[in-house]
Amino acid sequence: MDLFGSYALLLAFAFALYAIFGGIAAIITRRPLLIKSARNAGFAVCVLIWIGTISLWYLFYTDNYSMAYVAAHSNRSLSPYYKFSALWSGQEGSLLFWSFLLSIYVFSALFTYRGKHPELMPYVGVVLASVQIFFLTMNNFIASPFQVFAGSGAGGILHLATRADGSGLNPLLQYPEMAIHPPTLYSGYTGFTIPFAFALAALLGRYPGEKWIHLTRRWTMIAWAFQSAGILLGAHWAYAVLGWGGYWGWDPVENASLMPWLTGTAFLHSVIMQEKRGMMRVWNVWLVFLTFMLCILGTSLTRSGAVNSVHAFAESNIGHWFWGFLLLIILVCLAAYFKNRDYLRSDNQLDSMLSRESSFLFNNLILLVACVAVLAGTLFPVLSEAVRGSKISVGPPFFNRVNIPIAMFLLFLTGVGPLLAWRKTSVESLKKNFGYPLIGGVVVAAIAVVLGLREFYVTLCLLLSTFVTLTIFFEFYRGARVISARTGSNIFSSASQLTMRNTRRYGGYVVHFGMVLVFIGISGQAFNKDKQMDMSAGSEMTLGPYNLYLQNYDTTQAPNYSAERATIDVEKDGRSVMMLYPTRRFYPSNQESGTMVAISSTLREDLYVVYAGTNPDTNLPVIHAYLNPLVKWIWLGGAVVVLGTILALIPNRQAVMVLSSATAGAPSPIAGSTQPAHVSFSARSQLPTDGHD
Amino acid sequence: MTNRRKLAFICAACVGIASALVPLHVAAQKTDRAKSLGTKLMCMCGCGQILTQCNHINCPSSGPMLKELDAHVAKGEADDLIIQDFVQEYGEKVLSEPPTKGFNSIAWYIPGVAFAIGLGIVITLIRLWRQRDVARLATASAAPPVPPSAAAELHNAQLERARKQADRETEE
Repeated sequence: MDLFGSYALLLAFAFALYAIFGGIAAIITRRPLLIKSARNAGFAVCVLIWIGTISLWYLFYTDNYSMAYVAAHSNRSLSPYYKFSALWSGQEGSLLFWSFLLSIYVFSALFTYRGKHPELMPYVGVVLASVQIFFLTMNNFIASPFQVFAGSGAGGILHLATRADGSGLNPLLQYPEMAIHPPTLYSGYTGFTIPFAFALAALLGRYPGEKWIHLTRRWTMIAWAFQSAGILLGAHWAYAVLGWGGYWGWDPVENASLMPWLTGTAFLHSVIMQEKRGMMRVWNVWLVFLTFMLCILGTSLTRSGAVNSVHAFAESNIGHWFWGFLLLIILVCLAAYFKNRDYLRSDNQLDSMLSRESSFLFNNLILLVACVAVLAGTLFPVLSEAVRGSKISVGPPFFNRVNIPIAMFLLFLTGVGPLLAWRKTSVESLKKNFGYPLIGGVVVAAIAVVLGLREFYVTLCLLLSTFVTLTIFFEFYRGARVISARTGSNIFSSASQLTMRNTRRYGGYVVHFGMVLVFIGISGQAFNKDKQMDMSAGSEMTLGPYNLYLQNYDTTQAPNYSAERATIDVEKDGRSVMMLYPTRRFYPSNQESGTMVAISSTLREDLYVVYAGTNPDTNLPVIHAYLNPLVKWIWLGGAVVVLGTILALIPNRQAVMVLSSATAGAPSPIAGSTQPAHVSFSARSQLPTDGHD
Repeated sequence: MTNRRKLAFICAACVGIASALVPLHVAAQKTDRAKSLGTKLMCMCGCGQILTQCNHINCPSSGPMLKELDAHVAKGEADDLIIQDFVQEYGEKVLSEPPTKGFNSIAWYIPGVAFAIGLGIVITLIRLWRQRDVARLATASAAPPVPPSAAAELHNAQLERARKQADRETEE
């Protein structure tokens, strides 16, 4: 099976080469059979990568310890669940897994648009195959997961060797979420390849109009949703496993996942400008390019050892390949842009500073500045070392200080942007849309201050969160009331109808609401409390309203580890409310330890208890307890963000009459008219995509 | 719903949200000086976490460093002196944020400079695009009036109907 998987990947490499060169020949000659042949090669690449990946899973499940990768990341006593996730726990396997997820996207895109867009798809096929061939080069020649152990026999002849058992999986990865978080995050990273391929293909092929935007909108949203979920699942994993009481440490690997999310978010917003007004064509193409480049940059940071991170894979020379690939992408994008930049020319016009268009520009500015701030903080230690010869640290205090004001401005725009009208917003409209939400926000902030809140940013966050929530609420309420008046249905049913009539718009509002919840959750961090004590059986610790009474310690034995467990009775107001069992595990196969944090989570706060080890001075177990307010709001907000994105992906249920950007055949404006020149009247169902107002 | 009822509803919602969130603060504690100083230092085990947050089992660095910090605080040394002592022992890498002097202060300027440049670009673009719009309208008004075609008339009539319908449906 090792040879089978290895050969499958080699064949995939060969087919990918054919998909590239056959595709280029097809573009030049325009021969339909050649186009079809290159596309079929693209399908074959995907299927062969799936075969290669499945064969590696098979090797894990059959405990084949003649394979170096399997021996390094699994052992016989590892549960089947973790044998599944062990596939992406190391450098080589995770690169194969990257190829695997990318191939699912590539197959889906090629299949969805087979026989459609004959001017565009050959270019898309070539770009996708080019990205695939880079990863297949890694999988086959640089970091193959199918390397075997060899021993030298008589006469120095090499022969295959095997081990009795493997080294086991890193304890930090033996947590249920590790079977979900990496696939989700990688699906985000790899998903951005599709809009990148369409953007580059449209530019190379001078594909007319905004078609590529319409084609890739849903792909981008899917990738963005995966990236969002992946980031939050990673944060949850860090929170529940690493045992330091927090969920986001501004670690370079965390930052690497955040950067493409920021530019992807900017793209999802600015693309609306292009769809509705035909503006910002150059900017959108470069935002997509930048997002993809940041995905590759993030991967190279993780894998090159250029920056210190607990999450990073071991330092290796693989980083050079990623830097080279990144450089190649930049050169290709620049060349394509300078060759065909006249194709992206657009007649950008703006009626007023107070307009939806301006808010999108500011939204993009803020998101990009946040990205620059994160990138600068992440790479500055490397720059400082290169210039001064000594490394410095850029830790969480820097990132918090720089990014919190940016986040507040972004939250403000989240409330304001969607309610500004296209072209021009009147003062009356501002009063109508923002009056009550602003009053609400100020009232909440004032009550909070009266009750004793003194942290400036938390108060501001509370004000803005209330403001955004109320603007969203009134948007739903006003629309639902109109439908209710016309149909006689109740307000909730009307709100549901309203949402389903324009899923993209109202799904977007749901996403915004989810982000508000995330912001509220993050603001709770200002009130975190913690206490650490050496505790013997019978001792107590008080933290906030809780009294932690340590009943006893015991040990348990599982097939893959032994565990020391503390039994803690948690009392509140003098009565027992729960039992917590923080655990410390020891994994003999790789001689490593890990913690299993005990968390009692409510909407109000998390009681988070860690069995942190043994104090060598007192020889007593150390218990570290944290009281983290509002953390659950973050996970709840993340779920709402994903649900909102799914909602926005659902096609509209009914055709809605909207004002849309000019289409061919629209009547010319009447001279001297004060009406906008670029409006036509059409049914949404007739548009290539449903609009976002 | 009347305006007064709306206002009452909003106030009730606001009080609800505020009362759900704010008592958390009332019960909050002040951190001690060592904890506060610990956030200005990094753990030197390579985990990339600040000193007071490193919770790695058997971490070779955080324990001794925290003890050292406690000892400095117990002696009543000034904050700056304690931080300087750590810098002398471990190098600048021990600081959790870049120094605000010298080459490393550039890290602090980058986001601000990026924002200033971006803001300049956005404002320039908005001005440029508005000028284009003004120029377009001026050209349109200077041109001789063109009699509307039948298609344009139909289009305008549809547009006007839609506007009226939208006004009716969204008015307060």
